[in-house]
Amino acid sequence: WYAIALQTSLLSFVCRVFLVRWSRYNPYYLEPEVSKEAYSRPETELSAEEKEQRELKALRPIKAATSGVSSSVFDDPVISKFINMMMEHGNKVLAREIMTQTLENIKKKQVEKYHKASEGEREAIECNPYTIFHQALENCKPVVGLASIQKGGKYYQVPIPLTDNRRRFLAMKWMITECRDNKHRRTHMYEKLSQELLAAFGKEGNVMKKKYELHKMAEANRAYAHYRWW
Amino acid sequence: MLQVTHVRSLHSGGRRQQQEAVAVDSEPEPFSVFRTQESDPACHSETHIGQYYTLPSAHIRTLFPSGLPWRYQQQVKTFNEACIMVRQPSLEVISYLKKTDYSKPALRYLFYGQKGTGKTISLCHAVHFCYTQGWLVLHIPDAHQWVKNCKELLPSSYNASRFDQPLQATTWLRNFRLTNERFLSKIKTKHRYMWTKREFTEEGSLLGELVDQGISRVKSSSDVVGAVMKELRLQSGQPGSDFHLAVAVDGVNGLWGRSTIKKEDRSAVDPEELTLIYNLRKLMRNDWTGGAIIATLSQTGSLYTPKSAYLPQELLGERGFDSMDPFIPVSVPNYSEKEFESCYLYYMDRHWLQHPQSER
Repeated sequence: WYAIALQTSLLSFVCRVFLVRWSRYNPYYLEPEVSKEAYSRPETELSAEEKEQRELKALRPIKAATSGVSSSVFDDPVISKFINMMMEHGNKVLAREIMTQTLENIKKKQVEKYHKASEGEREAIECNPYTIFHQALENCKPVVGLASIQKGGKYYQVPIPLTDNRRRFLAMKWMITECRDNKHRRTHMYEKLSQELLAAFGKEGNVMKKKYELHKMAEANRAYAHYRWW
Repeated sequence: MLQVTHVRSLHSGGRRQQQEAVAVDSEPEPFSVFRTQESDPACHSETHIGQYYTLPSAHIRTLFPSGLPWRYQQQVKTFNEACIMVRQPSLEVISYLKKTDYSKPALRYLFYGQKGTGKTISLCHAVHFCYTQGWLVLHIPDAHQWVKNCKELLPSSYNASRFDQPLQATTWLRNFRLTNERFLSKIKTKHRYMWTKREFTEEGSLLGELVDQGISRVKSSSDVVGAVMKELRLQSGQPGSDFHLAVAVDGVNGLWGRSTIKKEDRSAVDPEELTLIYNLRKLMRNDWTGGAIIATLSQTGSLYTPKSAYLPQELLGERGFDSMDPFIPVSVPNYSEKEFESCYLYYMDRHWLQHPQSER
């Protein structure tokens, strides 16, 4: 759809916004490096490969950066991915708002618990919402997945290893669908998300249950593991 | 416990050292740069500007059952303590309150400023001062709540052309009873009030009975509010009474604006036709002695005003300005460098700023 739009643009009118990112870039183009720390490292610290990489970047053209990334210290690729997955009908503003409210809510609950706890318990309480989010997501990632493989006319559920991206995607997807479907209708999304994330951080909750069920199914179908050929 | 030595300041250290020296002299144990041990607003002075003082939780429950902004209430719940920063505008008003001659008519102080600069919290600081001095506090948390989102509107029993709001009146009376417990059994009414053909309040009965009457009989609660205001206004300056009256209104520009309440034939109700607003406007006139009126402008809750308006002239309108004139305007600016740093240190101390970059 985007490719056709590019072709027609040459023929008829000129689009106000030229969609460059999803057009098929020439493989010659390199990915942009957004973080400031990568550029502030002096020459001496780099290994030979990294020096080569730098020289290449000076010569080759670079793709345009998406509007979702920034060089701010608060930019997090995992959080951006989660926001994109939560987004509906292209409403990124709303998705970001929900995400910030979720993080604020998590921090509020943890700080409240921290101040009410006694001296001994205080060190165990984690207040940083980013660490809680990352840890919760890590706890939700499944180790093995199931694939439907056809053998002799029948389909079998075969346990297969998953790539990192697939695992991350599954964890986020389960979190979002769980919050959307299985909670009370009248609670806000940020409230539901913060409850679920805190539960996952403590290794309890519905998303953890789903992960354990998947693991159990994979364990049950261990006998078919040799049907996998890759 | 934040040690004074390892606090790094964003700006020049000269002022900080001076403040440290003062802190060491007045308090034997310098707790920190941004907190002060003085929890009595009467003792706050220029040296405490930029420092946070803790409001005792007993005072919060009685004084502000619903007077604090929502986000501040949540902050109090999260941090398990209520701290307010001592700032220049509220210190100014408190110093005026200490020096006024209470035999003259009541002075009107108006906090104005941009959105989010701290007008409501300055008002709460001044009200806390009045409470600790033993004054009777008449606190209306938000005048805009009385001109919009009205669930029940009754025609007034006292005056046919006016309207009553029983729900808002009863909530306010309950809060008033909570705040001013000790005065309810001391003050006596000077007039006789007839609520219906058979119910009346005799002259010389206690204020507490009047308030209870309003809370139990919901239909006449707005008239009870009017009666309470009238009684307090008449009695406050008299030589016999031993109390000072502090009237604190947040969002005072709502009294003279427009309202979104509609009558049954879908025409808008003028705020003057509401009993509560009518009586409150009478209280805002400075024809009584023995107290002070402290008010705040607010654009956030106001109806039909542009977002950029913050000056008294723009928000009060012509009628409002004429009725409030003469008043003492007190501008509430944004945080200065020192106040900002103090706020930052407070949040760091309360473990609110969690990002690793925030330590720099």
